[in-house]
Amino acid sequence: MKKWTMTLLSVFVAMTVVLAGCGGNNGKDANGGSASPSAGAGGSSEQGGSKKNVTLTYMASQGWIKDSEMELAKKFEEETGIKIDFQIVPADQYFNVLKTKLNAGEGPDIFGGQSGYSEITMNYNVEKNAVDLSDQEWVKREDPLSVEQLTVNGKVYALTIWDTYSSFVIGYNKKLFNELNLEIPKTYEEFKNAALKIQQAGVTPIYEPIADGWHHVMWFSEIGPNYDKLEPNLYDDLNQNKKKFVDSQVMLDSLTQLKEMYDLDFFGDNTLSDTGSDTVAKLGSGEFGMSLVAQSVATEIAEEYEEFEIEDIGFFPIPLTDNQIYYINPGGPSKFIYSGSKYIEEAKQYFNFLTKQENLQFMLDNDPTISNLNFPDLKNKYTAEQQKLFDSYQERGTDIQNYVNYVNPQWMDIGKDIVAMLSGVIQPVDVLRSIDQRRAEMAKVAQDPNWK
Amino acid sequence: MNRAIYPFYFGIATLIVYSIFFVVPGLMGIYYSFTDWNSYSDEIRFIGFDNLAKIFSGEAKYLSYIENTLVFTVSTVVLKTALGLLFAIMLNDGVRAKGLHRVMLFMPSIVPMLVVGLIFKSILNPASGLLNESLRAIGLDFMAQKWLTDLNWAFKSIIAVDIWKGVGYIMIILLAGLQSIDKTYYEAAAIDGANFWQKLTRITIPLIVPALVVTTVLNLLHGLKVFEAVYVLTNGGPGYATDVMYTAIFKEFSTGNYGMGTALSSVLFVVMTLLGYFVVRLMSREGDER
Repeated sequence: MKKWTMTLLSVFVAMTVVLAGCGGNNGKDANGGSASPSAGAGGSSEQGGSKKNVTLTYMASQGWIKDSEMELAKKFEEETGIKIDFQIVPADQYFNVLKTKLNAGEGPDIFGGQSGYSEITMNYNVEKNAVDLSDQEWVKREDPLSVEQLTVNGKVYALTIWDTYSSFVIGYNKKLFNELNLEIPKTYEEFKNAALKIQQAGVTPIYEPIADGWHHVMWFSEIGPNYDKLEPNLYDDLNQNKKKFVDSQVMLDSLTQLKEMYDLDFFGDNTLSDTGSDTVAKLGSGEFGMSLVAQSVATEIAEEYEEFEIEDIGFFPIPLTDNQIYYINPGGPSKFIYSGSKYIEEAKQYFNFLTKQENLQFMLDNDPTISNLNFPDLKNKYTAEQQKLFDSYQERGTDIQNYVNYVNPQWMDIGKDIVAMLSGVIQPVDVLRSIDQRRAEMAKVAQDPNWK
Repeated sequence: MNRAIYPFYFGIATLIVYSIFFVVPGLMGIYYSFTDWNSYSDEIRFIGFDNLAKIFSGEAKYLSYIENTLVFTVSTVVLKTALGLLFAIMLNDGVRAKGLHRVMLFMPSIVPMLVVGLIFKSILNPASGLLNESLRAIGLDFMAQKWLTDLNWAFKSIIAVDIWKGVGYIMIILLAGLQSIDKTYYEAAAIDGANFWQKLTRITIPLIVPALVVTTVLNLLHGLKVFEAVYVLTNGGPGYATDVMYTAIFKEFSTGNYGMGTALSSVLFVVMTLLGYFVVRLMSREGDER
């Protein structure tokens, strides 16, 4: 008996020692990590002030930093001596890595993040982890809608340089529409009839890659501004928890219409296995007539299929619930400065450099995926069809996930719910109910006063 | 009683390693399942049985995950054992090139499940997959199904793929059991005029019970912790129809609900321990009676 007590005691003591040792090591690592760049900074005095020998670490998810920005970063280094060390993390791991670093107090000097109030407060806790950038000159020039996405309690926490106006819209085969004498639909009924006619002509109306898990959710979320228009103040009521998703008739209608489209086989037989990587091929081959696409798809189809010109793909916004508003997603991947960084001023300097008019134009001109940026007075690269789209739909509004809290983080779950609805396991109203349930859970975790 | 030959402190090093890497994490996991630990806030609050209550209240589909896991486990245990035994008996004796056949059957077991899953995902693709194309080519169009996206077929397809992959392994274990049976039993039975069925039920099965215990326990644990097969073939879809415990746990962790994730793991841990214990007890007792 006594021996056992001894054993347990010694094990306990040994463990305490080992664990304490771990803690000690951590502390050392942290010091070591931050010590290396400061050694670089020590050299700055020799440069005589004008050029500094500083390295800024900039961590972001794959695809967020365009090649053109990297070129600009090199130019920035030549001008100022401040080097940008890009750390690109694969998209599926990024948020875990970032959150771990922020929670451990070892954030990079600059970090990338998504936008939207609930995203930046819950996921990055910007009030603690990011530097207030409200006084920067570029804030006045950036699209106010983008700025709003990164503002918490009146303070701006990040810089967004993104092609925020090129939303996903329905791209349609204009030749096919002309052959069948179809007009651009303005209501759901017209859209349905057009699709039925396309179906009768032996073409599957819509390519919908549901297997991706995220794509089909846009049918529901993008037309949010129309919900807000038909049920005034819906967005704000949802945020203040005065209304729930379940209470909204128009959202229910929207899902019901989506279900009807699925039941009428508009998406074809294979939609649950279809993936987005085939979109260009499916539209280009003429097998499908329309798809909900990024606007750059027209260019891709024109490049790959000889019989298609860029103008052969036209665009219109999703017409469910008779939507005629051009919805935008004013946020986008954004750049935050970590509050624990030693080089906050240098990082601000980098942001100022990027937002110079000529540098923004450089980015725009040198990147095929960007056709415009969220800063004024730039020369855009819109195609004729894109321009037509913008001109025909003057009314603008923000999609649900960028305005209503606790929606973006449950995107994939909504996707699963919608698939369950399409296959008939649950009803459209159940989808809304699940969204409410998950919102309530998140709000509880975030200790949101509106949910108490 | 034989007192220890070595003094107790010889075991301390092992005990420490064991405690740090096995006992402490296990206990911590169970503790965390009673908290609301998540990635959104720094503090971890003790919330008692809230997580468990949520799992068993029938809300949020957790019960269907448990049900799916059990269905998967039971069907794979039964089918793999039955098919494995069938193949083992077939390839035990009297077949030409039995070495080759054994290797062919065993092959799928050495391929990682993710690879198998990706291959079957393309084979089972309703529009362009090998299976449906073949069925159409021989005029059996009516049998072509949306294997992975039809509610009636998705889970069955996953089970089938898992059996295809796992049956060879079970067969090898049972084959080893069969080969340890003395041939004289069969000779004696043959002299007494026993037919195949009598030999199977009176000689073969009783004598390979130890091997069956091993395969059952292995299949049981494999079935309960199924993850990759579901993850790569359907990712729980369509909707939530094929979600199992571990895909749910994975999802909870990736959304940052660590508390709920550990609660689900703890439930699974308890179920696994209980089932494993009883299966071993039950089957080893049967073995002893002989």
